[in-house]
Amino acid sequence: MIADGLYYTKEHEWIKVAGTVGTVGITDHAQELLGEVTFVELPPVGKQVRQGDMISAVESSKAASDVYAPLAGTLSAVNDTLEASPELINDSCYEEGWIVKIELTDPAGVSTLMDAKHYETFLSEQEQ
Amino acid sequence: MHAMQKKAFGFESPPETVQDTVLIHAHSRRVKSSRLAPFAGYRMPLWFSSIRAEHEAVRQAAGLFDCTHMGLLAIQGAQAEDFLNAVTTNNVSRLEAGQAQYSYLLDAAGMVLDDIIVYCRRHYDYLLVVNAANAAKVKAWLNGLLNHQWIIDEKQPDRGIGFSPKIQDLGELHGHQTLVDIAIQGPLAGRVIQSVTGFDPDTLKSFRFCEVEANEIPCLIARTGYTGAKMGFEFFVPRDQAEDLWEQLLAQGEEHGLVPCGLGARDSLRIEAGLPLYGHELAGPCGLTPYEAGYAWAIKLDKPFFIGKAAMERRAQNRTEEVVRLGLPGGRGIRPIRPQDAVLSAAGHCVGTILSSATVGDRQIALACVERTQATEGNPVGIYYLARNDSQVQQGRKREVGRNDTLPADIQGSLLARFARF
Repeated sequence: MIADGLYYTKEHEWIKVAGTVGTVGITDHAQELLGEVTFVELPPVGKQVRQGDMISAVESSKAASDVYAPLAGTLSAVNDTLEASPELINDSCYEEGWIVKIELTDPAGVSTLMDAKHYETFLSEQEQ
Repeated sequence: MHAMQKKAFGFESPPETVQDTVLIHAHSRRVKSSRLAPFAGYRMPLWFSSIRAEHEAVRQAAGLFDCTHMGLLAIQGAQAEDFLNAVTTNNVSRLEAGQAQYSYLLDAAGMVLDDIIVYCRRHYDYLLVVNAANAAKVKAWLNGLLNHQWIIDEKQPDRGIGFSPKIQDLGELHGHQTLVDIAIQGPLAGRVIQSVTGFDPDTLKSFRFCEVEANEIPCLIARTGYTGAKMGFEFFVPRDQAEDLWEQLLAQGEEHGLVPCGLGARDSLRIEAGLPLYGHELAGPCGLTPYEAGYAWAIKLDKPFFIGKAAMERRAQNRTEEVVRLGLPGGRGIRPIRPQDAVLSAAGHCVGTILSSATVGDRQIALACVERTQATEGNPVGIYYLARNDSQVQQGRKREVGRNDTLPADIQGSLLARFARF
């Protein structure tokens, strides 16, 4: 399942931009590959990140997945609920399973990412 | 007498190509290809519904496992029994027709080449089931023994094995001769077997097997398995009928709660039971033998000779490490333990290494190699997670630790009984 209105990276992160703030999480494809998520490593609020910097690690009993910043900026919020309820990433990866919010240096940078249609094509190429 | 110089056994794995198992079509009907992962050269499903649900199903009802990637070798002829006694650690002469035993193949230095099950069909006709990951290596080893290629006795490098049975890879034959393995495990497995074969599985004792017809498909059925379930069976069925049997078992087993299970549940079940996996609790980074792993009984030192015997005699006297089973907190908010994480004593000294781990219910169960003095059931232990990424390293977490290092425990638990009973 791919949500519209979001932008996507090749590392299976999504970002939703509202004004100068981008909300980031991992896609349905990524959470499916992980299986049951039991642990999420959250970064400190205020951390400055460049595009591609690691911002989180999501772990299941079988795998660990590093999460990278789709765009550069400063971390303005982290989803603390994931500490007690990491399964939100499986159950609601585009909504309640959001991981961080970034105060973006350049919100227009989304144009360098994939939109829903391109991500879908990207995924089907990976299947082969 | 061969003039060829004998060598110590060495085996280079060829570059891994990934094949489909004979059940790929059945799997593709149930899961997307992204759910299939390469394992021992085969594309295998990690899970069908979830690891947790499949694990539960095997403990409460029954689970069906695609074991068709396992290696199956036929060892036949008048010298088969003597050959097997020379190349395996257990005593093959104790097997009656229709009986199987757990055993090991060692090299001359006592390194474990594989853990196997030997099935005695007749005293001149044996079946060896070997790990898929070791099948090519085991074939090279056994065939090389017949060709006098390998040193088998470090004290007598020219010693030959002296026996030459016929060895066939059942995966390379065609038609009805070729057998593949499908396993069904769990308390209700017997009911599924009864509905599919009309055969009462309670008449089959542990490690016994016989020939039956499953919905008119001829097969061997053995009371063996790798989940620790008391009730568990393996079907050895002709390759070209495996998919039919798989689908029939699932269809008829549904009312008993039978579900297909992937590699994830296979691993969490065997870890919960305390069963070893080659490359982790045997051989592997800690170079473990059956003595450390808890299987001294499968090493019959009273046999006059077997390859690796001298090394096992020494190890039996000089053991310093032991495989233990640990119970630790798990579930939400607790970082999963991984192989190589450090095991700490109550005082915070590193006394061992995690070999395998799994989430089972709201706990984590792990198998670890620890100093023998620490291996008492009930002993409290701590776990120190090694750094898994650069940001953890920057926060001061170590990527490597050594024995006796003093470290803070991230989580705490204790030693369980070595094996679980279900």
